[in-house]
Amino acid sequence: MSRGEAGPLTRFGIPLVVAGAAILVGYMLSVGLDGYFVYLGMSAIVAGIALLGLGVVTGSAGMVSLCQLTFAAVGAWVVSWLNRIEAPGGFLLWLLCGGVAAGLVGVLVGLPALRLRGINLAVVTLGLAAAADLTLVQIQFPGTVDGISVERPDAFSDDRNYFLLGIIVLTACCLLVHFLRRSRWGSGWQSVAFSERGTAAAGASVRTSKLSAFAVSAALGGVAGGLLTGQVGLAFPASFTAMQSLALYVLAVMSGVHLIDMAIFGAILWVAVPELLKRWGVPQDWGFVVFGLLGTHALVTGGNLGVAVRELVRKRSKTAAGVELTSAVDDVEVLPPGEPVLVVRDLSVSFGEVKALSHVDLEVPSNGVLGVIGPNGAGKSTLVDILTGFLPQATGSVELDGRSLNGQSPTKRARAGLRRTFQQDRVPSGLTVGSYVRFVARRRLTSAEIDEALEFFGCPPARTPLRSVDVGARRLVEVVGHLLAKPKVLLLDEPAAGLPHEEHVAFGARLRQVPARFGVSVLLIEHDLDLVRSVCDRITVLDFGQVLASGPQAEVLANPAVLKAYMGETEML
Amino acid sequence: MLQGALAGLAAGGLYAVLAVCLTLMSRLVRVVNFSQSATGMFGCYVAVWLSIHVGLPTWAATVVGIVLGTALSALLGWIISTWLAEADIGTRSAVTVAVLLLLISLSFILFGNKPQPFHPVLDGPAFTVGGVVVSQVTVVTVVLSVLIAVGCRTLLTKTSFGLELRALSERPTTAELLAIPAKPLAVAVWAVTGLLSTLVISIVAPSQSNDATSLAMLVVPASAAALLGGFRRLDLAVIGGLVLGMAQGAVAQVDSLSVVRYFLPFLVIVGLLLWSQRKEVWDVAR
Repeated sequence: MSRGEAGPLTRFGIPLVVAGAAILVGYMLSVGLDGYFVYLGMSAIVAGIALLGLGVVTGSAGMVSLCQLTFAAVGAWVVSWLNRIEAPGGFLLWLLCGGVAAGLVGVLVGLPALRLRGINLAVVTLGLAAAADLTLVQIQFPGTVDGISVERPDAFSDDRNYFLLGIIVLTACCLLVHFLRRSRWGSGWQSVAFSERGTAAAGASVRTSKLSAFAVSAALGGVAGGLLTGQVGLAFPASFTAMQSLALYVLAVMSGVHLIDMAIFGAILWVAVPELLKRWGVPQDWGFVVFGLLGTHALVTGGNLGVAVRELVRKRSKTAAGVELTSAVDDVEVLPPGEPVLVVRDLSVSFGEVKALSHVDLEVPSNGVLGVIGPNGAGKSTLVDILTGFLPQATGSVELDGRSLNGQSPTKRARAGLRRTFQQDRVPSGLTVGSYVRFVARRRLTSAEIDEALEFFGCPPARTPLRSVDVGARRLVEVVGHLLAKPKVLLLDEPAAGLPHEEHVAFGARLRQVPARFGVSVLLIEHDLDLVRSVCDRITVLDFGQVLASGPQAEVLANPAVLKAYMGETEML
Repeated sequence: MLQGALAGLAAGGLYAVLAVCLTLMSRLVRVVNFSQSATGMFGCYVAVWLSIHVGLPTWAATVVGIVLGTALSALLGWIISTWLAEADIGTRSAVTVAVLLLLISLSFILFGNKPQPFHPVLDGPAFTVGGVVVSQVTVVTVVLSVLIAVGCRTLLTKTSFGLELRALSERPTTAELLAIPAKPLAVAVWAVTGLLSTLVISIVAPSQSNDATSLAMLVVPASAAALLGGFRRLDLAVIGGLVLGMAQGAVAQVDSLSVVRYFLPFLVIVGLLLWSQRKEVWDVAR
């Protein structure tokens, strides 16, 4: 089995073949199904497209959206309006316009999401859904009062052909979502759901990720609304109530619609549950009660159908993939440290009365590894936060390769070539190792390049899902991703903390070769003095937010003040 | 304008009581209860059904409805504090979204989706200000909202029971280690907020648009009011509710602004949240 990812033929070929097959099946259904089932199928298609949208914003990007049908109403409104003014272009173009308009509204709704998360966002979107609900009842859709029915395209005018059109649109939406999820946007959604700081540190914009998720989701909602209008002919507010948006959200959570097949399955449930109830002589409203109960169950247990089904099918091994650093590495000639590439002058920051850092100066030489050590609370991680722009209130200057970085956002600094890793686990578990590395690297990489770098650090192969990788190995994958970004300087915040101690030395040997192999200078924060000794040319010691000592390794480690700060006085024999 | 504002005051009192309930829930049991007003709505509907189909007198039916609302809320609280004791506020609240959906659809099934023929518990004008009639309902809800807020504040700050509650909310595990009965207390908070919301909805619903969805969606303006106090402060929640009700009433007087009235709670929510969260650039502090 190859270590790497699938080739381009499989990546593009398989989805297209599946799409072709889906349309074929759709065609056969449109010809063979009973008229009533065609009608039901059309309703499922509309729900499926709306659910795909929820899969993007809620499933992938992790933002609560309780107003999906409000976006659908925007789509329906635009289609009805274009129909009433007899706009040129016909239904398909109107449908597209509806999608675009809903997408724009989605961006507007997404703007608060830049500051609001979780429960606050739920309140906002429910508020919007409730307000839109009342408004629609009052103003009605264009043409509804006069009974001007929306004209379907000529080729798809009867119900069976319109169902086929629905299948084609649904397939196109699925393909769009599939490829978007594999693009930078998609990785950004997964990443922003897991950690906004991690996203920014990878040079991706948190703003773009969130807004694009809302826009795509809303656009899909708009298309669903437009399609529904074409099905019925007229749009009615009753199709877009806040309550149905809630039900869709609950259904999305319950079935795990970030997976495309589960969105389709959810759509079938959406239609099948009320229909079955009707056949059994139970009022259809019990459908929402069923969804409510199942949704409550899914939320209480924290699982969903999609994941449960996949685990049944795959029977994934329970052991997590880890790090294998046993093999020896080829020697590479270590380059002599050159001119300083990162120059920091007079860096200070206080949190209230506490001076976390005061007047810190340091320099990272090109082709070198600078170690920053110090006891707990010395300000090491704060230093990394300031350098990478996460603490804009800090004073002092940071220059990278002669260019000042002052006032720039974390994203900009990452793009300028100053990267960092985190002490906490900031690696999104929804991606594979390979797609995460590509996302972090932000440049074109061949599979061979990725495999080589992963192998060098003993990481699991590129196609491994990150959720089955242990924490220590995840942090090395993070390091690999940032190294492949070829930044000028990489700040490593205790990269070895998740590794067993015996692997620290092996990791150190590899870190030592990083400047020569990857052309990246390193600032290493580490507690393990053995590791620091084996890797760093120069060391800066921080204590209580101040530089205690700085210089070549041997000199600094022999400094009595450093020994005292590090070991405590009693142990200083 | 003044007439509209005063007319809106009854709704304002309703928002204020619900906002106080939401604030209590968020502070004490870490949940934003989206089904807060739906629980009350369900209790009231059962009361109406009892008085029409069983022939119970209005007051008795109302009492049964309030008991039912209390029990429903307590049951939900028991479920959440049993299975989601350690979950974050987002997950706990998401469950209440599902419950909101469940209650609305149950009430559609049981009672249909038309407004209910409520028998007013309170009726008639209380007094007149400058030619504008202020109804008894308005007086009672406004007084009730203030009393509840003051009462809860006193309970929380002045009694040992309140101290236990606050300990529970801020450090649940530590509180349990101090032998504070976490689950019964949490369920009690749920029960009390269920009681308060059913009570106030029973009073106001006869004079409002009282179909199931409208009543259940009262949680939206109520959260707008609760947000003014940041889901922490009871006094601001009450003021927020009253002001929002009056503003909606005043806007409703102008025909051209009626759509604005619907969007008022939403705009208030967005505005307040963006202001209070303006410094929350990142998802986590570090």
